Amino acid sequence: MTSDNNSGQSINRVKYKTQNMKILENQFENRLELVSYVSSLVNWLDDANPSPVIGNKQAAKDKLNAIEPKQYVRTRNFLDGKVTYLSPYIRHGMLTLNQVRNHALNKCESPEQIEKFIQELAWRDYWQRIYQSRPDYIWHDVEPYKTGYNATDYADDLPDDIARGETGVACIDQFIHTLLDTGYMHNHTRMYVAAYTVHWRRIKWQAGARWFLHHLLDADPASNNLSWQWVASTFSNKPYIFNLENVRKYAHDEINTGAADNQVLDASYETLTAQLFPNKTQ
Amino acid sequence: MNSLIWLHEDALRYDHPVFDKAGENSHTCYIWDADYLQSMDYGFKRLCFIYEAVCDLPVTIYSGNTVDVLGKLVSVKQATQLLVPTTPNPRLGSIITKLSEKMQVHTVEDIAFVKTKSNADIRRFFRYWNKTKKLAMQIDGKNA
Ligand SMILES: Cc1cc2nc3c(=O)[nH]c(=O)nc-3n(C[C@H](O)[C@H](O)[C@H](O)COP(=O)(O)OP(=O)(O)OC[C@H]3O[C@@H](n4cnc5c(N)ncnc54)[C@H](O)[C@@H]3O)c2cc1C
Repeated sequence: MTSDNNSGQSINRVKYKTQNMKILENQFENRLELVSYVSSLVNWLDDANPSPVIGNKQAAKDKLNAIEPKQYVRTRNFLDGKVTYLSPYIRHGMLTLNQVRNHALNKCESPEQIEKFIQELAWRDYWQRIYQSRPDYIWHDVEPYKTGYNATDYADDLPDDIARGETGVACIDQFIHTLLDTGYMHNHTRMYVAAYTVHWRRIKWQAGARWFLHHLLDADPASNNLSWQWVASTFSNKPYIFNLENVRKYAHDEINTGAADNQVLDASYETLTAQLFPNKTQ
Repeated sequence: MNSLIWLHEDALRYDHPVFDKAGENSHTCYIWDADYLQSMDYGFKRLCFIYEAVCDLPVTIYSGNTVDVLGKLVSVKQATQLLVPTTPNPRLGSIITKLSEKMQVHTVEDIAFVKTKSNADIRRFFRYWNKTKKLAMQIDGKNA
């Protein structure tokens, strides 16, 4: 009698435990349904617009098959160059760097032809190794700024006009809108927006990094934060800056690179260095 | 051996080496931990991307606190071990540490980009690259 009762109780407990674990839907008629289901799960967020980038295996495979590593080497710095758009899939372990490198090697005659492509994959491997061995680097200045300023000279918070893409610097606003609308940014535009934020506006890199991490589909604390530190100069030998001429060289027709709409960027490197880093000694 | 496999956001695919470590009787889960996701401040687009990727995998999606759900699942599924893909994420790392106090947990490394044990000098990228380039430029990141 007692033992029956006990086993009855334990069966009930198991049932209770199973029932207590809420299982979520994983089959949907279409993407819209999935999106609306996810939005019902995240009542803490205002946004409910998905990215056009699809998060499934087939999409990852299609993007992998479409890579053109030889063209990548020549064109990767151009905003309409042959970059791969693989980062969200690599970030979430849907594709490995090994798989991407092997696939690229099979698309060329000799590895040297695509060295620059493999080197970019290696950047991710490099940042991940740092994340593993020095997790403290992710949010702390690895080194002092090399800008003539101290960390305390930089503001803690990201101003709203940057967060909304309303800085009044036309190309920067366009780059920010791409981030907000798609969750993706080309490497060069990440560098431009990060440099504008840290060096033109004197905002701490941490504030910019936090903002990118919220919006990027490929948001990765290592690749993102350490790249922000690289731009800021807290993990590189000098601050990264750019000018309008550089944007013009790499942008396409849809980017507004008019001088009147991008005045703060329209100067030589020498002038900009003097303006942005007046206390810098060398 | 019954294994429970916990796939997290760093390993959303079905041919991760974690599956080689599991026997025939294994159950794979993903946990939608709202508190964790909220604390990570992921935006909607990212969350949607992750959810879409998870739906594409033959896994059950549970909702709740990760440690609680995994604790319950281990007992319901009578799993003798919990297998988890290795992650550098310290937040997931501390969840794994908590779980290890309650059950047998094994973390499993993903396939490496370069097969080298050496902890190359990582103070600057080019020091690392000069050491790893030879292997990185070869299939599977190792000498043929
Ligand atoms: C300020 C800033 C923030 C960044 N934040 C992130 C981030 O959160 N997540 C992220 O994955 N990358 C980040 N990057 C690196 C890089 O910009 C993106 O990986 C790349 O733009 C993604 O687009 P893609 O897949 O088309 O890249 P491709 O140019 O086609 O490169 C192929 C793959 O190589 C890797 N890769 C290429 N360049 C880099 C790089 N510089 N650093 C690390 N990995 C690289 C990525 O996995 C990428 O998918 C950041 C760069 C900067 C300057």
